[in-house]
Amino acid sequence: MSCELVERDLDAYLDRELDAESSAAVREHVRTCAACRRQFAQREALTRLVRGAPYYSAPDRLRARVFAQSTRSNSMRRVLTWAAAAVLVLSVGAGMTVWRPASSRGNVIANDVVSDHVRSLMADHLFDVQSTDLHTVKPWFLGKLDFSPPVVDLASIGFPLVGGRLDYVGGRPVAALVYQRQKHTINVFVSPERDDPSTRDLVLTVRGFNLHHWIHDGMSFWAVSDLNGAELSEFASALQAP
Amino acid sequence: MRPRVFEETVLPHLDAAFNYARWLTRNDIEAEDVVQDACVRAMRFFSSLRDDDARAWLFTIVRNTWYSRVSRRGHVAVGSALNGGQDQWPDNALDPEERLLQQHTVTVVRAALEQLPVDFREVIVLREIEGLSYKEIAAVVGVPIGTVMSRLARARDRLQTILTLASPKETPR
Repeated sequence: MSCELVERDLDAYLDRELDAESSAAVREHVRTCAACRRQFAQREALTRLVRGAPYYSAPDRLRARVFAQSTRSNSMRRVLTWAAAAVLVLSVGAGMTVWRPASSRGNVIANDVVSDHVRSLMADHLFDVQSTDLHTVKPWFLGKLDFSPPVVDLASIGFPLVGGRLDYVGGRPVAALVYQRQKHTINVFVSPERDDPSTRDLVLTVRGFNLHHWIHDGMSFWAVSDLNGAELSEFASALQAP
Repeated sequence: MRPRVFEETVLPHLDAAFNYARWLTRNDIEAEDVVQDACVRAMRFFSSLRDDDARAWLFTIVRNTWYSRVSRRGHVAVGSALNGGQDQWPDNALDPEERLLQQHTVTVVRAALEQLPVDFREVIVLREIEGLSYKEIAAVVGVPIGTVMSRLARARDRLQTILTLASPKETPR
């Protein structure tokens, strides 16, 4: 691979957006070419620097205003829904079966996982135990759950453990482990594997959040975050093979 | 699947929406106005939200809201990088391996980002700060993935140049 080609692909390589074959070609070239290696190092440094740029959180008054607007528009929608339902009942009359959308258990769980994640961020209840030390987090679950969740710290690859709490998924208590990637929070829900086999190894997006699900050593894991798919995959594979 | 509720689907991304708007506008008050308008639109078009990617969808609405405000005002200072955008930054003063990217405070990084043309600034913010994939950025900005790739590379080139020039001249060699 020539330097020109590598230069073209270097950013995509850095962003893990290249396919495996091109990635390998860039990696090999960068290993042997000092100039491209230097350029790559500069790009990495730049990326680190920019990720430290300010993150502007929404001011409380904006949050309050938007919330008030949505509540108003909801009550309007509810009135319209009732009106539509009334029309339907009148026109169809008796003898109608209730229709419900099919939903697998995996879907229900995935929805629960996202709702828990959102709640943990909105209600400011991210931790019951706040610690970056896995020897503090792991024992904390003792006596609170009938299983012991595996806890690992991935700070060395940029996903520090920041704490844990108890939560509920599918009506069952689970261990929630909290990790951080820059400004993004990752919740990992761990419980003994009791779900049906069809929910094994899933990668999906629900309401804008990325989810990874896998089974390991008889435990079920759900990782959820607003982190992009590639980085969450990296996190999920690191957790599976620490 | 349960019916989707605006509060649960869109509001969790309010911080992200504000952050993006703040970087677009470079102004707190204007960013608030843009996000509030965008949320009103988002509520109205909520039923059009498909494929579950609420965050990218909200970004798109924030972006459109901002662009329509800017064009309504007849504002021309948006500063697109894409027409006649030659670097005004001289290359000859550089000594990249020595001085590059050292000891920059957050302030310097922010100032550097803010002086990028908005087309460049937004891809950097969406990629580095919001962590979007190229595909998601392509959807928000409304360009092909290949364009995202090349725009991001050019934006980083430009940023690298600005930061190199901004690094302290007295850095020991």
